[in-house]
Amino acid sequence: MSEHYSGTHGLQHEEPLVFERAHEESVSIHLPGVEGDLPDDLTSFARREAAGIPGLSEPETVRHFVRLSQWNHGIETGFYPLGSCTMKYNPRVNETLARLPGLAQLHPDQPEHTVQGILALLYELQEWLGEIAGLPHVTLQPAAGAQGELTGLMLIRAALAAKGEGYRTKVLVPDSAHGTNPASASLCGMETVELKSGDDGRMDIDVLKAHLDDDVAALMLTNPNTAGMFESDIVEICRLVHEAGGFVYGDGANLNALVGIAKAGDMGIDCLHINVHKTFSTPHGGGGPGGGPVVVNETLAPYLPVPRIEKGDDGYRLLHDDDQSIGPVLGSIGQSGVLLRAAAYIAAFGREHLHKIAEDAVLNANYVLARLKDAYHVPFPGLCKHECLLTDEIQNRHGIKTLDIAKRLIDLGFHPMTVYFPLIVHGAMLIEPTETESKETLDAFCEAMLEIAAASEAGDTEDMHAAPLLPIRSRLDETGAARKPILVWTEEES
Amino acid sequence: MRFLPHTERDRSRMLETIGVSGMRDLFADIPADLHIEPGSLDMPDALHEAGIIRKFTQAAEQNRHAGNTRCFLGGGTYHHFVPAVVDYVIGRGEFLTAYTPYQPEISQGTLQALFEFQTMIARLLGMEVCNASMYDAATSVAEAALMARRVTRRERVVLAGSVNPRYRTVTHNYLSRISGSSVDVPCSGFATDVDAVVEAIDGETACVIVQYPDFYGSVYDLASVRAACDAAGALMVVAFSDATAFALIEAPGSLGADICVGSGQALGIPMGYGGPQLGLFACKKKHVRQMPGRVCGMTHDARDRRGFVLTLSTREQHIRREKATSNICSNQGLMCTAAAAYMSLMGDAGLATVARRSAAALSRLVSGLPDHVRAASGPRFNETVLSFADGDSRDHFLAGAEGCDIFAGIPLERIDPKAEACHLLVATTEMIEAEDIADYHAALEAVR
Repeated sequence: MSEHYSGTHGLQHEEPLVFERAHEESVSIHLPGVEGDLPDDLTSFARREAAGIPGLSEPETVRHFVRLSQWNHGIETGFYPLGSCTMKYNPRVNETLARLPGLAQLHPDQPEHTVQGILALLYELQEWLGEIAGLPHVTLQPAAGAQGELTGLMLIRAALAAKGEGYRTKVLVPDSAHGTNPASASLCGMETVELKSGDDGRMDIDVLKAHLDDDVAALMLTNPNTAGMFESDIVEICRLVHEAGGFVYGDGANLNALVGIAKAGDMGIDCLHINVHKTFSTPHGGGGPGGGPVVVNETLAPYLPVPRIEKGDDGYRLLHDDDQSIGPVLGSIGQSGVLLRAAAYIAAFGREHLHKIAEDAVLNANYVLARLKDAYHVPFPGLCKHECLLTDEIQNRHGIKTLDIAKRLIDLGFHPMTVYFPLIVHGAMLIEPTETESKETLDAFCEAMLEIAAASEAGDTEDMHAAPLLPIRSRLDETGAARKPILVWTEEES
Repeated sequence: MRFLPHTERDRSRMLETIGVSGMRDLFADIPADLHIEPGSLDMPDALHEAGIIRKFTQAAEQNRHAGNTRCFLGGGTYHHFVPAVVDYVIGRGEFLTAYTPYQPEISQGTLQALFEFQTMIARLLGMEVCNASMYDAATSVAEAALMARRVTRRERVVLAGSVNPRYRTVTHNYLSRISGSSVDVPCSGFATDVDAVVEAIDGETACVIVQYPDFYGSVYDLASVRAACDAAGALMVVAFSDATAFALIEAPGSLGADICVGSGQALGIPMGYGGPQLGLFACKKKHVRQMPGRVCGMTHDARDRRGFVLTLSTREQHIRREKATSNICSNQGLMCTAAAAYMSLMGDAGLATVARRSAAALSRLVSGLPDHVRAASGPRFNETVLSFADGDSRDHFLAGAEGCDIFAGIPLERIDPKAEACHLLVATTEMIEAEDIADYHAALEAVR
């Protein structure tokens, strides 16, 4: 067994579905409230058959979910080097703060004079995000990065329409982009044109030029891009797009590389969404909630969504109506609880330390790259930013694919990197260590990766094809799951 | 900096391994004139943990909250009881700090919780399948309209005017960027005008979106809407605000909903000043491949043991890109786990108690109203509209009630800008006790 092994053994419990644990009758919980006869006109609509929600006692519920939790890997459990996902430590104090009754128990439609404290925190966060990005006008409303993209594109369409150029609906998207970019463009009624990346993994200026015409509404660009490379021609890229009458939309998924180092606004980017669940450490929660505030320049500012938080002489207020606004994209002002955690993360670094987020994140990615570059194929050599891209080209000669490497990492005690993304290289492995990992952790991960490379080289690959062998489950039949989907439990499935 | 593990010695050794002489060299690919001076951002100095706690606590203390008031506010967000266990479960680092379960072997906890969530929500709503969440009710409604357009290959969307105005605004906003039309059907008497809704459905209609109970709390019969949809080949989308309702009244699925969307906030999630919320999305199984968002499915592993995976992902943006059913990626995963834990604790009986007492509180509130205030007529679940002689008398009452620690309702025009400024949207839950209702009545008497 490898020295890197940190799998699970011993008291590892199988746990049935909550429906299989259920009693014949649900256990009654003691609840507050008033009893009384309901009016006949309401009872005539009464539900005829109970839903079949199990109803367990409190100790059973706790045990059930604690056992389930133990089948999960989280950033608190160990390293989580998912590229473009920025899995960093989530400070515990932020959890405490977001749960303060004076912040968590607020109704969104309380009178504004009763919520001045939270409005002050959120307003301050807006100012910080605007300053960090160099794009001073902010909406906190988008619920996640993808909704930030949609919002940004709506703003761009509104600005174009105001100029009488509503016919511009073409969105240029590099082939290295996240899938959300083209999906958001479609949702916004725009057509995507994919730009082929250059041989160095960066945007090819000539390809860009060839696509710039009177139909172009925007370029959507991730910088650093998803190969972990900074788009060094960014100023020229933005100049060209502007010259052609388009806007530059920045996908802020990779902002972690630039915090306190360089500003999107200075580069010429008009509009950027910020994934606070990445850069500013709000917990990913097994898929969400996230937060996707959008920061914009002067030109796009008039169109920002409502409600907006405004600061006046007598305190903060919510602006609900504005003729120029694109309107709301969410049913509330945003994911307040998530945003508060982001504010707490930024406050802890402050002016003097904020750039260290990017520094240590980039240091860690380059360190991993330096240690692995001889054993793994590096498609785009040179410095990387906060994440580094490898491929399985060398291991493939021995029949080992990216998927095998990823699954073998699990047996060696590590969450895999992002695999098969970006799509511009074959067998991509995108590694993002983030700033909150120690050198010891990075070294252990690199050792595991080197061990896999060595085993592959030696033809010692049996464990790899079958991996992972040690978790509570081995490889799952995903094809079968998609072919005949079972999405809810029925007694026949047991 | 306490979140950064490296010592200066670590950093210099690592730089040496990389083969550069200093940290700035790592950023040499960024043009020099884009570099900003470290520490030059216009921001406050770093706060230690104690300072952050003080800052946030002071801010929190400036707010009045549901814990020290009596909250009669609804409009899509409700102050239900949340057992401590729910928050404990989602505070577990293994749930809280995990990513999307793309590596199923080490994410079975999240996945099984999602599968249980999907099953419980489907059962509660009386629907066949359910996804693993949308952002909130408003965006769920918008996505339902988009899905109905895909299923029917038609472009016209009809919304009842009694659907929460925020859901309607967001839906119109989503739909306004693409071809096709979306129309609101006026309502009257703070209830759904079923005849007008039926009248609006035509052969071009992709779907009709109704809310049940509607924005004003009104409960009504959907049979004629269902029949009209059948006749026109349109889908019936049923939206809702408070999912606990369906432990008391007939579920949307039993009433023939093709798609059922709404808020799961009532199921164990604090009001949180608007978020994180939980958008629920359920539909008929035959339409599942047009459904937006992630979904978890049951399967087995290489040793034939039961397990769970994210499935049907060819609908999603990371595979299908511009042809995806939606752009949604991050969703409200943790809130699904919260709702699953909440429902497990409640069971049918607990949920029924929550719903019954929420409705009983409203009934008691309305039956004791003084005669200068009028409540909307007809069956209501846990929400209704109170009407005052004019805006001044309403606002006078609101201020007085607030002085007695009562948030007595939402001025209707705040959510529905077309409403006259003399109405109050009032909601009740099991958190409202008899004494609170008595105090509410007293506050009304005080401004008679």
